[in-house]
Order: sequence, then structure tokens, then C-alpha cells
Amino acid sequence: MNKDFHCYATYCAAILAGYSHEESAVIGYSSQMVDLCTRTMLSKLHAPQSAATTQLQLELMDARTDIIGLQDITRIWASFHFLPGDLNAAPKQKCSKKYLNKYRLICNPNSELIEKTVSLAKGKSEQAAGIAMHVLADTWAHRYFAGTPSLVINNINYHCFELVQSENGEVERKVNFRHNPSAPDDPEHSAYTNTVYYNNENSIMSLGHGRAGHLPDYCFVKYKYLPAWKQYEEIVKDNPADYLNAFCQMIYALKFLRGVNPSFERGKYDTEAAEPIMDDIRRILHTVQLDSTDDWRELGRKLSGHSLEEIDVDKIEKEYLDADDDKKDDTFLGKFIIGALAQKSMVTNQIFQSGNKLAGYSIEYSSKGFKGIRDFRKLLNRKESAKNE
Amino acid sequence: MSKFQRVKSFLAGVALLLLILILLAIPESGLSIVALILSLSLVFYGFRMLWYYAKMARHMVGGKTFLYQSIIVLDFALFTFSLIRISTVWIMIYLMGVFAFSGAIDILRALEAKKNGAPSWKLKFISGCISVAATIALFIIGIIFREQTILVYGYCINLGYAAVMRFVNAFRRTAIVYIQ
Repeated sequence: MNKDFHCYATYCAAILAGYSHEESAVIGYSSQMVDLCTRTMLSKLHAPQSAATTQLQLELMDARTDIIGLQDITRIWASFHFLPGDLNAAPKQKCSKKYLNKYRLICNPNSELIEKTVSLAKGKSEQAAGIAMHVLADTWAHRYFAGTPSLVINNINYHCFELVQSENGEVERKVNFRHNPSAPDDPEHSAYTNTVYYNNENSIMSLGHGRAGHLPDYCFVKYKYLPAWKQYEEIVKDNPADYLNAFCQMIYALKFLRGVNPSFERGKYDTEAAEPIMDDIRRILHTVQLDSTDDWRELGRKLSGHSLEEIDVDKIEKEYLDADDDKKDDTFLGKFIIGALAQKSMVTNQIFQSGNKLAGYSIEYSSKGFKGIRDFRKLLNRKESAKNE
Repeated sequence: MSKFQRVKSFLAGVALLLLILILLAIPESGLSIVALILSLSLVFYGFRMLWYYAKMARHMVGGKTFLYQSIIVLDFALFTFSLIRISTVWIMIYLMGVFAFSGAIDILRALEAKKNGAPSWKLKFISGCISVAATIALFIIGIIFREQTILVYGYCINLGYAAVMRFVNAFRRTAIVYIQ
């Protein structure tokens, strides 16, 4: 998913869930911020670098793929972009523990972790809600891929076909993968850029959906392929249907965060709230275009009467830099950082508790006290100050 | 990172330092040692690939290629070993490839960091430039003037970096605290 869905569609979902324009804008911007908050950005602002929610391409190329490097990458990508679908999943065939650990990080929607993600944002800032919505939406777009470098899970081969509508109904068109990152994707000819094949299990090239290029990120694409992990069984990925589910689930989740719904249950979608604009949504999701920002923005304007501006990262950074040290946590970015640290902390803990060390080690403060990466002390400080208040 | 992994990382760092000392003590036969290391690495890589096939890739669509590749790599390792006393040009090319690639990545990374306004770009840029300059110098000295010792020193620097990273990893904080 790109900014069109993460920012503008999330804004629409927030409006439909009953948030005001201002609150919805913060939720939309925060959701998009997840794709912008890198270590490079945080280091420039002297902010805690453990709050990074994504990595630049060159950061990834520079990243070491030893055990610590892999854990760092997995923490970021599994926590925010490829939330594991089932941490206790088992493949049909007997396999090694090493394989199992990677298999269990395959992203899927409606998981126990998404329930925990949404619950974690309850009663917190709009920034935390935005982060949760990004994670939730990505569970649909990025399903079947894992947020850790893994050839045996994330690789896809030449057997990949786009399913396009023609006069004779749905026809298959072979996807032509290219490796030039500067060449724009060409949906008319099913030509898409992906990462190169590299025969190393932990290569960055096999992180997430890199081998499938941006196919999972485009709302209009329907395609089928052979995933590396599914024993030669084909998967048909229907992005318009998945994106619609994501949208309706976001409304449902946001209503829970607002206190309208008493609980957040898996597999529930607020299609009722989306019904009045369903034709518009379907039209946007089926239009063949690489960026549907304008359409979602227009829909947002129709819903709220306001046109959502582009996110102003410079302004956000300046607000954080200009704030006094004790006020930084009250800025947009400060709240976002706290939300990101909490989400990363929760997901890492859950993965670790499942007996999987791929995201690193996690300890519970209540039983072991504070040990490890200092950036996370911020969470503890907030907890303590909330207790004192 | 578990305690075992920390100890392993520390010991690997020590082993690398010892290797550097050996290379520095006898630089004249250093390139042969480097070649020996490379061929042993290939043997290790071949067996590791075989292990990888058995444990992971056999579940993967098209994973059998790893089985074939591991056999080819092991064969290549034996071939490399037989070349140690015949030709050293390929070893030099390998070493220069390592320097050039790491230098180029450093420079690209520094330029991106600069674009994003991060303060750390200068150090990376300088280290990238040094790596690229070293590659050019090594090319001139190694290939044109056939002076091999300097390549060994360059390789030692690379090993030194790897050793330092192992030590850093062995002592780095890794646990994430979950506060409910």
C-alpha cells in the first residue's frame, strides 16, 4: 500500500468512524508516517532511533545480515508492515525449527496480533491509532509475505500472472518483472520492477514482498503466483477485494478506538458505514492507476467537506526540533515515536514469547526490570508518570 | 542475542585478529594464505548450502537448485585449491571487488544521508572515498606493478573491520523491554 491508501483512505475511514477532520488528518498522517520514519530521519532529529518504523533502500543495502542485523530488520518490518498471521502456525510437511520460525512470520489478516495491535492503541493518541491502522491495512496488502529476509518464504519465480478483465472475461497475462528501480511500473503491459534473485536465505532482496515488486501495493491488481512456501500451490491475490476488507476493518477498528464499538473482534468489517460510498470505493479500487491519491482525497473532501493537504514532514520535524526537551513527547512526532516504540515492543515480545528469536530478545519489565536497549526507557517513564498522575 | 551467540561472536573476532597477525607476520606468502582461506571458505560454503537445502530449501518451490549449486561449489572449491600455486590474479580481482563494492555502498549511503540532512554522512562519505581510492591504488599496484603484499594489507584492514564488528555485536544491547 502507498500513501494513497495509508494516508487518504485512512482519513476517509476515520471520518466514517466519527472522528473530526482534524483528528482524522492526524490519524491519516500518522499512518503514512510509518512509511517515512527512518533511522536517518530520527538521527537528524536526535530522536530515539529504535522508533524507526521503516528503512530506506540504502539503509537496507547497508544493513548487516548477521543475527543482530536480521533481528533489527525483522523488528521493524514484522511490527509495522508484515504483522505475523499466526505465531504458532505449522506447515503441512515436517520441517526444521529454523524453517518454522520463518514460516510463522508470514503475514496474514485477522490475527491475534492485530487484535493486540488495535487494543494497544486504545486510549492512546491519534498517532497510535494511525500506526495501528497502517499495520492493519498492511496485513491485507502484504499477506503471504514475511517481514524478515527469507528466500524460502518470500521468493516468487517466473510463474506469476496478472488477471485482467477483457471483453472475454478474466484473462491471464504474464507478469514481466524487471530490476531497474528507476523504471516506472507499467500496468498496461504488466511490467513491474522487483528485486533481483539472490541465492542467499537472508538477503535483503528477499525481504517482504521485494521479489513480487509493488504488486501487493497497487489496489487494482489481481494476480496469481507460486509462493515459495506453499508446496507448489498457487495463490490468487485479489487486491481490490482485500483493500475493501482493509478499509471496512479500519472503520470498525477506529470505531472501537473511539469507544463506539465495545470491542475489536477479528473478522468483523463495518461495511454498513462504508455502504453510502461503496460505489466510489469500488471505482477507485478497480481503476488502473499507480497512485489513487487524488481520488481518495476527493472522496475525503466529499465526506468531511475538507481537502486533506499533503503531509508536511518539514513542519513535523521542525515542531519536534523546536520543542523543549520536556515537551518533545507532546509534539506530533513525539507522540508518534511513543506509539511506534510501544508497537515494536509488543510485537517483539509476542514473537519472542512464541519461542521465536528472529525479532530478538524481549523481557517483561514486571518480572525482570529494565534491561537492554535504552530507547525503550521512554515507555517506562511514560508509564510511571501516568501512574503518578 | 543469546549468551552462546555472544561467545561465538567474540571467539570469531579473536580468530580474525589471529589471522590478521599471521598475515602481517608473513606478508610475502600472504596471498597464498588468502587463497587458501578463500578455497576453504568455498568448501565451507558448499557444505553450508547442502545443509541449507536439507533444512530449509527442500520445502521451497524450486529449492532443488541449492542441491545442484552446492555440488558445483564444492567442485569449484577443489578447483580453486589446485590453482593456489598457479595463478593469483583471481584472488586480487576478488579482493578489489570487495573494496569497490563496500566503497560504492558507503558513498551512496552517505549521499542519501546528506539528502535527508543526517549529520553522520561525512564519515561514511570519507570511508567510501577511501575504499574506492584504495581499490584504484590496489589495481595499479597489484595488477600493473604485480606488487602483492599491499593487497594482503588491504585484506587485513577488511578482516580487522569484520573482527571489530564481531566484538561490537558480542557486547551490544539487544533486549527489548515490554511494559504492560
